[in-house]
Amino acid sequence: MRRRHGAEWRRGGKEGKPVEFPPLVVSRREANAQHIAALDEQAEALGLRPGIGIADARAMHPGIEVVEEEPEADRRLLESLADWCDRYTPLVALEGTNGLFLDISGCAHLFGGEDAMLAEIVRRLAHQGFDARAGLASTPGMAWAAARFLEGQRRNVPQGEEEEFLAPMPLAALRLEEKIRAGLESVGIRHVGALIGAPRAPLVRRFGTMLVARLDQAIGLAEEVISPRLPVSPLSAERRLPEPIGMTEDIERLILLLAGTLRQELERRDEGARRLSLSLFRVDGAVMRLGVGASRPLREPPVILQLFREKLAALEGKLDAGYGFDMVRLSAAVTAPFTARQTDLSGSALQEAEAISLLADRIRARLGKGAILVPSLRESHVPERAVRLVPFGEEALAGGSMPARNDAPPGKIRPIRLLETPEPVEASAEVPEGPPLSFRWRRALYRVARAEGPERIAPEWWQEDREAPTRDYFCVEDVEGRRYWLFREGLYGEVASPRWFLHGIFP
Amino acid sequence: MARPAVSQGRLSALRREIARIEGTLPERLAVPGENRAVAGRHSRPEMEKFAYLKTGAWRFDAALGGGLPAAALTEITSRETRDGGIVAGFALALAAIAARKENSGEGRRPVFWVSTSHMLAEAGLPYALGLERFFGFAPDQLLLARTVRLEDALWATEEAAKTGGFSAIFLELRGNPTKLDLTASRRLHNRASRAGQPIFLIRHSAKAEATAAITRIFVTAAPTALRETLVGRLPRSLGPPAFALNLIKSRTGRIGDFVLEWNPHDFAFRERNALAVRPVRQSGGRKQDSGGLAAASFDRSAFATQAWSGVEAGRKGGKAS
Repeated sequence: MRRRHGAEWRRGGKEGKPVEFPPLVVSRREANAQHIAALDEQAEALGLRPGIGIADARAMHPGIEVVEEEPEADRRLLESLADWCDRYTPLVALEGTNGLFLDISGCAHLFGGEDAMLAEIVRRLAHQGFDARAGLASTPGMAWAAARFLEGQRRNVPQGEEEEFLAPMPLAALRLEEKIRAGLESVGIRHVGALIGAPRAPLVRRFGTMLVARLDQAIGLAEEVISPRLPVSPLSAERRLPEPIGMTEDIERLILLLAGTLRQELERRDEGARRLSLSLFRVDGAVMRLGVGASRPLREPPVILQLFREKLAALEGKLDAGYGFDMVRLSAAVTAPFTARQTDLSGSALQEAEAISLLADRIRARLGKGAILVPSLRESHVPERAVRLVPFGEEALAGGSMPARNDAPPGKIRPIRLLETPEPVEASAEVPEGPPLSFRWRRALYRVARAEGPERIAPEWWQEDREAPTRDYFCVEDVEGRRYWLFREGLYGEVASPRWFLHGIFP
Repeated sequence: MARPAVSQGRLSALRREIARIEGTLPERLAVPGENRAVAGRHSRPEMEKFAYLKTGAWRFDAALGGGLPAAALTEITSRETRDGGIVAGFALALAAIAARKENSGEGRRPVFWVSTSHMLAEAGLPYALGLERFFGFAPDQLLLARTVRLEDALWATEEAAKTGGFSAIFLELRGNPTKLDLTASRRLHNRASRAGQPIFLIRHSAKAEATAAITRIFVTAAPTALRETLVGRLPRSLGPPAFALNLIKSRTGRIGDFVLEWNPHDFAFRERNALAVRPVRQSGGRKQDSGGLAAASFDRSAFATQAWSGVEAGRKGGKAS
């Protein structure tokens, strides 16, 4: 059974000095009028409630401060809190606009038991300025209710006692739609207890399956799955630090250490990591994540460190350590079977191909995915489609089946450089099918001395651009000896005045 | 004129030091016929290991002192960016020679091409089918590093040289950026000589400036010859690539102008009309290329007439094409 706990989060910043601030309300625009969406304790003490119009509230209490709601900012704040909660468990899910679910199955003992963990989370959130309410139970529904409706210190619902705890709670504890709740209240049901023993069939008939489903989820008769925000890594190693670290050298040393732990586990599973991610938990709650990819499975700590070193170097001191990181986690996000064994610890005796793929990985870690490219061949007559440059290690993914043979027949000449997109040129050519006599490219005039061609390349109608015109390619040499690859788009007769393009450059 | 023994020893020590910095053999700096044996004894044995890339054009090889130093930085420069195909082609041809040289049975090693995205957008992306056709590099033998900033390109080049396993490394850039100063180029050269593999610095529209490159060559296009067939030269055809070279810095200190023709079938250069090349400089005469190459232009006119006579022949032959 899962044990979960919902942490309700209240909008608001630091509130260490409550007296000096005016009561704060957050407004939302609804039906063309501003209403209160949320408010702080002081405003609550004044008797304001969510839903009251801002104008009314101002009239009653001129001293209040009104800010407009920012759902996006709230969302970001909630997400950063979820990031922070990663330190307790990898399974963190967002709940609505103001809650988080943490699946702490098998994690609680790391923090001194459930009650201690609950207390620590609330205490640390309070320290960051959040008024959080937390509940802990065997089901997400019960934890949700416990966080919101249980008073006092007892917010940990023991397994098996869900019904007792739920019975005195109001209907809102069941996460019901407003309509269902109002319906139930109209027939005099105000507490969950009245529903637990009630016959099911009439309830379903009258209020739909949702009500019963919610009830079952809360008391544990039906399974409910939370959806974690981040994929759970198959393997990870972490270290909590009593003394926060901030220096890059310290982080590197720690990566080496954690990679050593990971390696044992990877060796046991006979796997290597294809994607690694490093999470740095800052003391003040911010979490930084760095990810590196490897084109072949890795497990040697020095190699892993090399990749992360590039990533750290790419940040160029933009890694804001603040007051330091108090937890570091290294996880292997994607693993793959490890076949060839690396023998040398220092990574110096790697085979040439391995060394090259490591170089490519490092360049990618530092400069991004598009920084290291390899050609990928595919069957096509259209020059730019026949060879595409794809990121290293993704030749297979790009759909290029790598025929590994030169499809261009020996008679067909191909340039050594191809412009990314053919550039239009002003050309004067023999009508209808002759090569250009002169052309103007990038403002310079080229007089053609000799030309070979045409090589007619018809559009590939089975590809998307059905209406693409035929291209006639010419290899031309200007009077100075420069050689270019030009084509005329369309044929005289088909098109009124075909346009000319420069596409490639020869040596 | 006899010199005291002490200063002799000092002199050769200084020469060795300079040679070490430049990564060349101390003999280069020695006065011919003087203390040859001494200098030879002190020359670093690892330098001997890296032979020279013989281009196959004997006059060019002789000017380079037996070929292009393989484990060194070589600068190949164009005067204009539109010559991007020519300079890249010349560098690739040298890489093909290097790949053939070191190749011992198994497949060729890849080439590593570093360039900025700006440069590639202007001069064009390497096209694998063309590389295979002209220089024999299969599509899986090309790795392209495309960076946004020049610093990253320099970094990638150095790392590639450190990694080894390439037949050649190209660093392509434009003009004379201050980031590639004498120090940066010296680093590249040291990497090349330590790794024992060539680094080619391809510079577009650049002026000559002091770098640590052992060899610097200005490359411009030369009109191709007509294509040879069994029945003779094919009129109006385009033959193998030709390069007009202006060697302005070399290990031996010799400079000169050459016109080389690349043979894509045997991966070797051939010098075209060695006797017709005159080491004369003259300026002007051409519209589009301001920094004129005398010999090249001389050749050009010569070959242009030849080319046009080919056209004439083609016209006489009626519907030849």
